Amino acid sequence: MSIGARNFVLLAAAVLGLMATSGTRPTAQERSSVRGRVSIGIPVTARRATSTYSRNVPTVALAPESELRHVVVYLKDAPRTPAPVMHAEIRQRNENFVPRVVAVTVGSTVDFPNDDPIYHNVFSLSRTKTFDLGRFPKGKSRGERFDKPGVVKVFCQIHSHMSATVMVFDHPWFVVPDEGGTFELPNVPIGTHQITAWHERLGDTTMDVRVEPGRPETIDFVLPVPAQQ
Amino acid sequence: MVAVILTVVFVVITLDARDRVRAAETDKLRVSENVFSALETKRQQDQVAAMTTLAENPTLKAALDTYFTERRFSGSSDEQLRATVMGQTAKLAMQTPADVLAVVQTDGKIFTSAGPAAGRWPAGTQVDIPGGTQPAFQSVAMLPAGAFRVTGARLTFGDRPIGALVAGTSLDANYAQELSNLSTAGVVITVNESVVARTVPEEVARDLVASRASAGTVTLNNEEYAIRPMLFSGPARIFMLTSVDAAARAATRDALFALATIAFGGILLAAVGSFWLARLVSEPVNRLSGEIATMTAGREFDRTLEPSGTSRELDSLTTAFNDLMRSLAAAQAETRSAYVGAIRALAAALDARDPYTAGHSERVSTLSVMIGRTMNLPAADIEVLRLGALLHDIGKIGISDQILRKTGSLTAEEFEQIKRHPGLGARILRQVPFLAPHLPIVELHHERPDGRGYPFGLRAEDIPLAARIVHVADAFDAMTSARAYRAALAAAVAFAELERFSGTQFDPACVEALLAAMPSSHDIEEPALAQLLGRQLV
Repeated sequence: MSIGARNFVLLAAAVLGLMATSGTRPTAQERSSVRGRVSIGIPVTARRATSTYSRNVPTVALAPESELRHVVVYLKDAPRTPAPVMHAEIRQRNENFVPRVVAVTVGSTVDFPNDDPIYHNVFSLSRTKTFDLGRFPKGKSRGERFDKPGVVKVFCQIHSHMSATVMVFDHPWFVVPDEGGTFELPNVPIGTHQITAWHERLGDTTMDVRVEPGRPETIDFVLPVPAQQ
Repeated sequence: MVAVILTVVFVVITLDARDRVRAAETDKLRVSENVFSALETKRQQDQVAAMTTLAENPTLKAALDTYFTERRFSGSSDEQLRATVMGQTAKLAMQTPADVLAVVQTDGKIFTSAGPAAGRWPAGTQVDIPGGTQPAFQSVAMLPAGAFRVTGARLTFGDRPIGALVAGTSLDANYAQELSNLSTAGVVITVNESVVARTVPEEVARDLVASRASAGTVTLNNEEYAIRPMLFSGPARIFMLTSVDAAARAATRDALFALATIAFGGILLAAVGSFWLARLVSEPVNRLSGEIATMTAGREFDRTLEPSGTSRELDSLTTAFNDLMRSLAAAQAETRSAYVGAIRALAAALDARDPYTAGHSERVSTLSVMIGRTMNLPAADIEVLRLGALLHDIGKIGISDQILRKTGSLTAEEFEQIKRHPGLGARILRQVPFLAPHLPIVELHHERPDGRGYPFGLRAEDIPLAARIVHVADAFDAMTSARAYRAALAAAVAFAELERFSGTQFDPACVEALLAAMPSSHDIEEPALAQLLGRQLV
């Protein structure tokens, strides 16, 4: 799945690169990339989900490969820009959505394949996209197309501790960092932008970045960890 | 005295019982408190479990999470999602007995609330819920509208908290009453040391707060209370209290009633028992004393009493009495024989006054006994006969020698003198009580069947048998003895005379008996008879 995400990033980068080289409006001189690293103030300890359904849920599967994979870095004030349609997937594995966070362009489809030997029932109450995929067993997959930008929270009607987030953008300038927290947004138009690192529970960290031609801009995010209650 | 002892014993037992009852009641309270505590702990655990289950409601969580995620991302909120959360909360509120069920945001503000007390939990109000990572919690929440006991469960997705679902129970009179019903103890709820609810009198609750006691036994409003803390959380306190005095009072009353019943029953039993025992003892004593009285009155000194066998003491008393009676009888017999000896000596001396009558009394006695035996008289009558015959002429002591020894015929006057001797004898014998049976012999031995005897002229059967026998024997001996004025008659002649006057002077039966008694009446020479009579009959 991380491979899938990585592929998706590479794909996005390739598409952007293609767009850049094929050169519609902005030339290479008018664009540059923003790269950087996201880190979390202190390590977030992966906790076992609290579930009254005390089924044998493997702890390993609950531990996220990296909390940094639950971050989406995007340009907040990006103008609406057409971007290629994508295909992503969020698998249901070991009573968890994997990955927990995906970011796609408008019009993209996200598949929800069930890897568990139990039923799941994926649904969403979000304004952006309200759906209910119903119950489906292992090996089946149902998909959903997201035609509006916004944030979509996805849950399982059966397993109340499962949640995932699909972020839908109407522009191509968004990225999920790799496990090391490094990211790169290529072909960012020259100028000053607001760039946001979104985390499902650590909140949004927004910074201004000035993109200048010729050299990539570097920006590091440190996501604040709220004081543990 | 017995009453005083009983009273002291009763008072001691009463005080002892009171102490024991108090101790037992205190123990009982502790036990029931422990039971209630265990039940209450279980109840709270059940509530926690119930809340944890409710907090897993997928729709509620999804709506809440979506609502906040969207608001954060886009800055605008979806009221439909809020409505969804509210609807779910209202639905869940129906499933809990709590006064209010609320969704509390991660920042501690109430997102929505439902239930009877929802009005006191308005949205946006800050609720202090415990921090930490425990999936569920219990505490007391202070709201502007009052204190609530809360049980909550955190709403999370994995390690991501999105809020909490909290059930609140108002710490009010209803709750106090409910706890009181469950624990059967008094309940006082205080917040910041002021009483907010109570099921005990106001003074007791006031004293409890003033005493600052949290556990143990405390005197409140002049009564002893066992106090147990049920909940100490923040500013709120829930106390359970039970009046040891009240509990002990009822139990003491019961115990004392039982004691009094037992005591009364005991006294009654003792009375009946001692009455029965007394009867058991007194009855033989009464019988014994009755018999002794009868014996004494009847002078039956030779009778022995049968041991009753009812008690050893009584039997030994009977034995002692018998011994006494035996020695008394022996002494009496001795006295009697001494008397008899004296009388015999007297009679002999009397006989000796006249040489012709010497040995007369002894012989009459022997003859009378012979007649009596021939007539098959009882031994007792024979004995009366023996002594009576010996004494029959005792009255002659008062007759002058001149008359007694007179050889010529007696003048009428002299004969009158002679005729006085039976009466005289009787007068003498009357002085001696034990000679009473012999009186008739002495007094009537000169009466004749034809009524011409003296002193009374009694006829035939009116004359006692003993007197008749002695009369015949007396006559026989008189005839066979020599007199100054005549020689002794032969026995055969005397028999003939007796037979001739049988029926007139002499009782025929007695005469026949005398004849029969003489084995050799027709053989006068028989030496045994001569020896028996003590002299030559010829």
